[in-house]
This record gives sequence, C-alpha cells and structure tokens, in this order.
Amino acid sequence: MNRKRALISDAFKVKKRRNGPEQFGADADGDGPTDIRSTLEYLMTLFPRKLFNDALPQIVLKHQLYSIHHDKTLVDKEVNKLRERGELLMFQLGFDAEAFGLVFALDYKTKVLAGEEGKVTRAAVEKFLEKAVSSCTDLSFSKDKMLTEFLFTDSEITQLVKSGVLTVRDAGSWWLSIPNSGKFTKYFIQGRKAVLGMVKKSKYSEILKADIEERRTTSQVKFHMKYHIHDIVGAELVESIPTTSGTLLRFVDS
Amino acid sequence: MLGFLTARQAGLDDPLRLRRAESTRRVLGLKLNPDRDVDRVHGNGVNTIDIDAIEGKHMLSGGADGVIVIYDLENFSGKPQYTCKAVCTVGRSSRYVHKFSVETVQWYPYDTGMFISSSFDKTMKVWDTETLKPAEVFEFEGNVYSHHLSPIARKHSLIAVGTQNPKIQLCDLKSGSRIHVLHGHRGEILSVRWSPRYEHILATASADSKVKVWDVRRASGCLFTLDQHNGDKSKASSEAVNTAHNGRVNGLCFTGDGLYLLTTGTDDRMRLWNSATGENTLVNYGKVCNESRKRLQFTVSHGCSPEFVFVPCGSSVAVYALHSGELVTMLRGHYNNVDCCEFHPDYQELYSGGKDCNILAWVPVLRASDVEEETSRENKGAAGQSSVNPAFQDAWSSDED
Repeated sequence: MNRKRALISDAFKVKKRRNGPEQFGADADGDGPTDIRSTLEYLMTLFPRKLFNDALPQIVLKHQLYSIHHDKTLVDKEVNKLRERGELLMFQLGFDAEAFGLVFALDYKTKVLAGEEGKVTRAAVEKFLEKAVSSCTDLSFSKDKMLTEFLFTDSEITQLVKSGVLTVRDAGSWWLSIPNSGKFTKYFIQGRKAVLGMVKKSKYSEILKADIEERRTTSQVKFHMKYHIHDIVGAELVESIPTTSGTLLRFVDS
Repeated sequence: MLGFLTARQAGLDDPLRLRRAESTRRVLGLKLNPDRDVDRVHGNGVNTIDIDAIEGKHMLSGGADGVIVIYDLENFSGKPQYTCKAVCTVGRSSRYVHKFSVETVQWYPYDTGMFISSSFDKTMKVWDTETLKPAEVFEFEGNVYSHHLSPIARKHSLIAVGTQNPKIQLCDLKSGSRIHVLHGHRGEILSVRWSPRYEHILATASADSKVKVWDVRRASGCLFTLDQHNGDKSKASSEAVNTAHNGRVNGLCFTGDGLYLLTTGTDDRMRLWNSATGENTLVNYGKVCNESRKRLQFTVSHGCSPEFVFVPCGSSVAVYALHSGELVTMLRGHYNNVDCCEFHPDYQELYSGGKDCNILAWVPVLRASDVEEETSRENKGAAGQSSVNPAFQDAWSSDED
C-alpha cells in the first residue's frame, strides 16, 4: 500500500533504535513472510535429532520465536498464516497452557509414517493424516467431529490413541499430539529447570548470554544451550537486557 | 514536528492531526519531573485516583486507611516548581469516614459537587463535596471491589457496583433504589465499567475468569461473554472455554472512543477486545505482571496516535502501544507496588498511586532552556531566579561617567 502521508507513529519512533548486539535476526522488523520461516528453520537446527534416534520430528516452541523477533503480534499472525497454508502444525504440549509446539507438516507426516512401519495401526494413522491433519488446523478433536465429519469409527479412534497421534484431553475429546513426544517433554522440562537454576545461582541472579552459552552443561541439560535460552527468554522467565558487554539475562522473580 | 506545523499552516493537514502528533510526542516524553509534586497526605497506600472529567482541575484519591483526599492540579503560581496541594480531606477524624480501605472513588461526571466512594466496609457513599458529608449510603453484603457511574449517561443515573457477591447491583443515584440486579457471573465481581460510547452498555469482570458485556435495558442475560480463543474450542482445555483469561480478571478499561476493551488478568496477560463483537483482537502484549487480588486500575491515553496503555506492573508503570502490543517504556519511580494510574487528557500527564503512599506525577519533558537564555538571565538578575519583567528592573548604575 502506498501511503501518501506518513503515519504519526512513524514520525516519532515509538521505540528508540539501539545499536545493540547483533543477533541472528534480531533487527529483522517484519521484512516479509519468509522471515519467520527462516527463523523457524534456524531454531529447528538446534533441536537434537540424535537424542531421540531420529524418531521425532524437529519441534520448536512458539515462544522461542518471541526471543528473536520483538513484535509478538506479528509473529503470531505469521505463524497462523503458515498454519492456514498447511505448512506448519501446532500442538498443545501439555505442561503449560501457553506452550505450543510447532512442527513442519511434512516432517511430521514422514516421521509418523516411518514410525508406523509394520504396525497394525498404520492404516488408521494414514487415513487420519490425510483427512484430519491436512484439512483442519485445530489443536484438538471432539468425538462427534471425528465420527461425523471425518467418518472414523470407534475402533479406529482407539488405534489412533494407541499409536500416539491423539492424546486424551477429557471425556470425548482428544489433543493432536506427536507420537513418542513424552521423552521430549521430560528432557525439555528438566533442561529448562537446570538452565533457570544456572541463571538463578549466578551472582545477582544475572549472567551474560555469551557466558552461559560457554558454560559446561550438566547431564540434566540434554538439548543445545541456545535452544533453552531462546525458550526462557521468549517465555519471559528471564529478562533480556542489552548492555555494553552484550545481552544480559536476569532471572525474573514471579 | 516542523513538517506537521507547516502542513497545518498551509492547510494540507487537518488541524486534528497536528494536535495528535503533539500529544503523541508529549506522551513519549513522559518522565518524573522534580518540579511537579503531589502533596503527601495518605498515611497508607493509595488505592484509587480519579481526575474530574469536566475541567481536569481536581483529583480525588482514596487510600487504604479509608481517607479520601481532593487535590488541586492546576498550576497558577507562575513558577515551574509546583506542588499539587490537598484542598480538603475526609480524614480519620471525620464522623462519616469509611471504616476500612477505600477501593474506588469517582467524581460525578458532570461537576465536582459530588463524588462517590466505595470501600471494603461494605458501603458505598455518595458525598457532597461542599460539606464533605455523605448524601446517601448504600449498604451491601460483601466487600465492594469496584463501582462505576456512566460518564455519558443522560437517560439514567445508574451506578454499577461489583462486590463479593456474583450478582451485579445497579443502584439508582436519583431515587436511591437498588432493585436492578444482573445475574450471570459465578465468582466475585472485581471490576465494572460503563462504555464511553453507549450509555446502556456495561462490561463486568469477575474472579471466575469471565468478562460479560451487558445491555442494562434487556431483561434477559448478558449480551455476550468474551472468549479468549474466539470460539475456537480446540485451543484450550475444556474448562477454559468461554473465559477471557486463564485466571481472575481484575482490570477493565475501555478506550476513549469505546470501540475497544482492554482486560487484564492474573494469568499475566492483557487482552484487547473489539467491544462491539466481543472478538479477541489477538494483540500480544507479552507478560504483564499482575498479582493483584483486587481491582487493577489502568488507563489508556486519549488523543494520541497510536494510543498508549499505562498498566501498573509491580513497582513501575508499563507503557504499551495499544494496537501493536510493543512495550514502549517502563516508568520507574515508585518504591513499592503501584495500584492505580490515571491519565490527564488535556496536559498528557500521568498520575500514579501506590503502596508507598505517594502519588507521582509523570510530566512530558519540556524543551530544556537554551544556554543563551540562561546566561542573559544571570547577567540581569541580582539574586537567582527572579521572574521580574526587565522593564521594571532598575537600570540605574552607580558609575559616575
């Protein structure tokens, strides 16, 4: 849209531009729809595939994007656009009402089908992936929806739950889920607690980002340190303060 | 800024545009000013403040000790250094003072002859400002968290009252009756607010995580309940269906034009809703720290572009841009939790009160005086800051020439 007149908000830069430490994509101010995608791909590389023997697709949490792009509303909008186009899938991970996991749709389908090789439940899962996952972007499915819209039978639904594609939500409805993701959730929560503990134990409960990335991680932290840092910054469990020596992470008491 | 001025001069721009630009510039420059002070009268935390809508001259404040103070905000002294003096107080010695903390105060919207205060002593009192005696006392069964009188109503003078009881009472100011009750909530009502656009629309927020919007003319239930997922039942667990927040909703504020409604909740989130349809606009403000067990009084700026939201967040006031959700700045200055804040639309000033018994005035930073002006003043004046007109100054010199 070509504006003849500038917006008043552009005349007064609402946020002072700081020449802060250059991070990957830190200064990207909505350069275009592909920017979120490339950030997602970068975050996916931080996910440890070997840890799960390549059985899990690469999972990124939605709030990790907030630590890289500062405009949260824009990030939300872009993520919804990708979901509507069918390229991205969002999952309710279960340990936090606000923690949503994002997986590329293609990754998800290949991994799930690979996991179903030679199993009895394969046919039901294939049908589910084709019909339900491709067409609707919901996070959960209720019983009548499954029976009437997608024409699944009760036994098929049981098979889907057995295979791990659906998880019980309450009587008569199920969350969409990633098979074998229990291990992921366990290691993730463990790692998050350990990293937060490291920040909290530091002097004044604050530590430079560069320093904590250098630190030797305990056996509790199984993921890449950067993965956890993006997570705690995005979830606002630590405050990210730009300083002359780099970004400082300060523990937030809540 | 000069661009806006020349455009206004040449008639290229609407006069309103220049006004908005200047208001926005002033709000972006809000700072604690050492010259502006508010008299410290409260001995205990300040719970609520209200500035009168007609002149913007007087400010009411209600404290945790039941004391109500009226301040004069206007600065006619001619000096930049000014303390907003307390004009009168309803102190602990008054016979009619509230027994427990005052939770909400509000000026009568049409003149400052009357104000209404409600308190944890389960009463709401309508005071006559002249005599500082209550003209009317309404008694309730539970603590009164919040009340609001519609600022634009011409056809009715109903005061909506939110108490510990899940039923919202509407008290009529003219007749003193309280037969109108709104049913629907299941938890205590933490905040009530009339729409500044339609005099019959009322929004209420409750501890049961729901926000309901009512039309008081309708006999049946509420118009709609705000749903944070916009009807997408799949996003949350099934108990969280139709809730505005994942915790208690303790703050409500309409924008100046009444088109949008802001709500804050103890799930540390603030949401912006379209007040006509009840749709969540999904603006993401991030984590807005909120631990208040009572009503949180926050405010929206008026006459700027973009509008700003001022929310008390712990011991500072957070300023967010309304529609984009980004954090503009944090105003730090209080020593303890901030409970309330109020925006003065004419001067673009913000007043905030908190548990440290102070009311702080955040004033737009004025242009610092040039070096030239200062030295010339030093040469003329004999002793420091004299604002005497140079024509009246003695030009006589004792030098015999």
